[in-house]
Order: sequence, then C-alpha cells, then structure tokens
Amino acid sequence: MKKSEAEIIREYAFEGVESVGGVSFDGEQVWFAAGGRLVAFDPDSGNTTRTLDIAAHAGTAFDGKHLYQIAEDRILKIEPNSGRVVSTIPSPGGGRDSGLAWAEGSLWVGQYRDRMIVQVDPETGKVLRTIESNRFVTGVSWVDGELWHGTWEEDQSDIRRIDPQNGEVMERLEMPQGVFVSGLESDGKDRFFCGSGSTNNKVRAIRRPKRSRA
Amino acid sequence: MDSLITAAARALAAGDPLGALKRVALRDDAPALALRGIAMARLGDFTRAKELLRRARRAFGPREAIARARCVVAEAEIALVSRDLSFPRKSLAAARATLAARGDALNAAHAGYLEIRRLLLIGSLDAAERMLDDLDPAPFPPALRVGHELVVAGIAMRRLRTKPAREALARAKDAARRAGIAELAAEVESTARLLATPAARLIARGHERPLLLEEVEVLMASKALVVDACRYVVRDSRTTVSLTRRPVLFALARALGEAWPQDVSRGTLIVRAFRGKHADESHRARLRVEIGRLRRALLPLADLSATPDGFVLEPHGRREVTVLALPVEEEHAAVLAFLADGEAWSSSALSVALGASQRTVQRALDALAATGKVESVGRARARRWMTPPVPGFTTTLLLPAPLPNG
Repeated sequence: MKKSEAEIIREYAFEGVESVGGVSFDGEQVWFAAGGRLVAFDPDSGNTTRTLDIAAHAGTAFDGKHLYQIAEDRILKIEPNSGRVVSTIPSPGGGRDSGLAWAEGSLWVGQYRDRMIVQVDPETGKVLRTIESNRFVTGVSWVDGELWHGTWEEDQSDIRRIDPQNGEVMERLEMPQGVFVSGLESDGKDRFFCGSGSTNNKVRAIRRPKRSRA
Repeated sequence: MDSLITAAARALAAGDPLGALKRVALRDDAPALALRGIAMARLGDFTRAKELLRRARRAFGPREAIARARCVVAEAEIALVSRDLSFPRKSLAAARATLAARGDALNAAHAGYLEIRRLLLIGSLDAAERMLDDLDPAPFPPALRVGHELVVAGIAMRRLRTKPAREALARAKDAARRAGIAELAAEVESTARLLATPAARLIARGHERPLLLEEVEVLMASKALVVDACRYVVRDSRTTVSLTRRPVLFALARALGEAWPQDVSRGTLIVRAFRGKHADESHRARLRVEIGRLRRALLPLADLSATPDGFVLEPHGRREVTVLALPVEEEHAAVLAFLADGEAWSSSALSVALGASQRTVQRALDALAATGKVESVGRARARRWMTPPVPGFTTTLLLPAPLPNG
C-alpha cells in the first residue's frame, strides 16, 4: 500500500454555507450539498454559478445528465437545469448513507458507520453488492476505473483507493490533522474535490497522484 | 456524518427538536442516541435525555474521544439544570481536558463553566473564583460570554459586591442581545431582578424594613455592629465572630440585638434561647452560664452588662446595633432559599447544597409540603422539589453539538 500526505491545492470558501456534504463534478462546475440546497461553482474562478433549493444532507453524484442527491433516507434524481426532482429511490442504508458516486451504470453509496460501500441499481434501488472498508466511509468517487473513498474517524481523515473486488486498501492520501473529508469527486484529471463536513464552509481541491499508464 | 444524522442535526439547530426526533427515533447507533438525548433535553425531559446520552457515550467507539467527551459535557449540563449535583466531577474534568487537547476550545470552556456553576450553586465561592480566574472569556461567542458574566455576577452578589455585579450584568445583557437567544436574555433579566429584590430584613431599635443587596453591602461596610441571622455571625466592618455552631449563644445575641439599646429580661432570654415556656431556677442557672460564654465570645466587639431585669448589649465605641435577618423567616428558611431559584431540586442535591443530612432535609421538605410552601414531582429517586411556580429564572441549556460534525 502506498501512503502519502494529501496535497491541498486550493480551498474554496462560501459565505452563508454552514456545512459541506457531498461533492460532484459535471464537467464544468463543482456541485456540493449544503444542507438545505445544492450549490454549483466554477473551480477556476471559485464563483458560485447555480443554487438549487433541494434538501441535500449527504452524497452528491452526476451521471452525465442528472444529479443524484442523498436527502434523509432517499436518493433524489435531479434535472440540473430546472432543479426538478425526476424520481426518487430509497437509499440502501435507510439514512445511514454518506457518500455517493456514479460509475458504469450504477450508484455507489457510502455507508458511514457501517464502514462499507454499496452498489445499487439507480432505477430500482436494488442492492447489487457491498464492499467493506475498515474506516467510517464519507465521500465515494470513481475515476479511471479506480474506486476512491474518503474516511473520517475522530481525529483523522484520509482519501484512499481500494480494490473494488475485495476492499483492500491500495493507496492512502492522509489529510492533515483536524482537516476532514466529507464528499469526494474527481474532475477526471488531476484533481479531487472534497467537502469539509460542518467543521467549516470549505471545498478543497487535492492533487490526484499521477500514474504511469501501462 | 450520514444523511439522516445531518438532517436531524439541522432540525435541532433550527430549533425543531421534534423534527430531529422524527428522523432518528428508530435508530440506536451512537450519533442517533446522542441527538435523541439532546432533543429530549430541549423538550425538557431530562431523565430520558440523561439516559440517552449515557447510552450514546458508551456506544461511541474508543477512537471517537471528542464525541464521547461532548456527551459527558451534555450529561453534566442536564444534571446541573435538573439540580442533580451528584454528577461525577472527575468525568467532567476529564472530558474538559480531552476537548482542550483536541482543539475543541469552545466546548472545553463550556465544560469549565458547568464546573464553576456547580461550585457556585453549592456555595464554594473560593474554588469557583479560582477556576474563573483561569478562563479568559475574550475568544468566546456571545452565548458563552453570557454564562461567564452571569457567573461573575453571581459570585459578586454572594460576596456582597454590588457594583461589579451590576457591571457584569450589563455585559451579560449586551452579550445576550448579540447572541439573540431569548431565554438567555430572560435569565440575565431575572438575575438582575435579584438586585432590585429585598435580600434581607433589617431590625433596628424595634423597627424592621426590607434591605436591597446594595443596602446590605453599605451596612456591612458601616461602623454598625451587625447581628447577622443570615450567616449566624456577629460582626462589624473589621471583626467577625462566628456563632454558627453555637445556636443558643446566637439566639441570645439576636434577642439582645433586636432590643438594643433597651435591655432584655431574663424571662424573655430564656424563652428565646431555650424555648422553655416557664423560667425556673435551673433555666436561670443555665442562662447565667450561657451569658458568660456569650460575653467572652463577643469580647472583641461589645460588652454584656447586667441590668435589674436582665441584660443589655453595649457595643464598643458609639456603634449602632442592627440585626440582619432573611427576608422571610421560616423554620426551614434555608431550604426555601435554595428552592427560590425556581428549579426542581432532588432532596439529595439539597442535602449536598445545604451541607445537612438527607433526613434533616427530608423532614424540612415534608413540613414545608404540609403547608403548601413546596411541591414535588416524580417518584422515588426521580422526585424533585420546587416552590409553587414563580416567574422566570430558567437555566438555559447551551448543550454542545454531540457529534464531531462528519
């Protein structure tokens, strides 16, 4: 397992935001769950671009067309332009859900204190399989076939790549002490975006480790 | 944190404890138990709240030290507000150390104030003052600042220093306005009202009138010889003679003080000191002995001279003699004085606060209840005593958020 310190590239602060839950990226804007609403901002300028008044308590994901948002014990499917909720499915953890990611036609849902990630069918909510972690799971993200998730257990957070087959930890980026990770999403390139829970109102950009492609 | 915990915590923060409960009512994991506990405390069900927080504290894992410590602080605050003074101080001190070490300065300070308020409540003024000296209130948000100033005012009032008390109350009022919490403002108001409410009764030259705290302070600083029936001492501005453990001598001193500059007959003194209906020879002999003892005790302050009828107090110098008594005198005035804060007390908490045995306290409560002066709620160990509803004087809960905000 590779272990290194997470390199924080940039911090985005938002006035009037009390907590940052799920984080997602739609190719241009970063979306994050701010409790009572979804906020989008331009990662280059840091300016807020959109705000949708939708309950947003945990993970956020984007499938190329729709946003998905965990609110209470449901996963909402949202049309980003209108903010209309297209459909809802029950969340697999019944409200104990934290992170959310989209990949390969499935939703991947972090179960915070259950320390696992659940793959569900986005149409029906049916559980397809579960992957165990050994820490509280916050954000979940897929990028280039890699499954990453954030952890948060008391004083320490990290971002880790795990083997989607057996849950084995392949790589860890350790956050500085007292800097916590809630949501997690990559921009598909060299950055991760992550939230900071309700310890402050920040979204952070973290450098994604480079790979030599085989 | 997970989705429903976030939703419930948001509801709680928005002042909707029922909304919070609705979301986590069926969950028994640690954060849910903690949120349910805080919500029940907000709804005033302290017994249930304490139980839930205790379960939450045990359910949090060994690596969740902050969450556990916050549960301990919340439990301690609920215990304090419900006047359950038996809450272990060591746990609170340990939680405070944990929070301070892990950078949660705010809740660490909150834990400190709970400890100080407990000391204040049981009358350990010196210890409370020492702890207060170690806390710098400058970095605290307004709500915590209100607590700080109320404690400062509370100590000053008990020390009969009304000017610093007034100044602290003015700062508390300002902080309460900035905090925007109505209950806190009300608490400051009701504390301020104590300064405008008679704190004692003055008996001098056969007349009596109520005294404000400020007037008590002036009296204590004056040259007068004060027979203080609130504290069982005889004193002037320089010397204090304590008769706390000598009730017969104090009863004699008080009778002599009330009559001054007249004398008091032997018969009256015997009735006041021994509660005997008839003064027989053995009583007279005993009175002689006790007067001798009182004369020796008061030597630094006054002489005691015999008159044809009885005895008269003669203070050194040209001093006035006054008697200071509780505003309302009852047989169980001390118990009533504690209950007058409007809170519900357990008899064991009263016994700790009064330094009297549980049996003594229970007898006093039973006697007061028989005449309708106090009421009780609950049964067995959960039984609480209070005076019939008086306006105001709530103790606002500033419970810590139990979760390290995942």
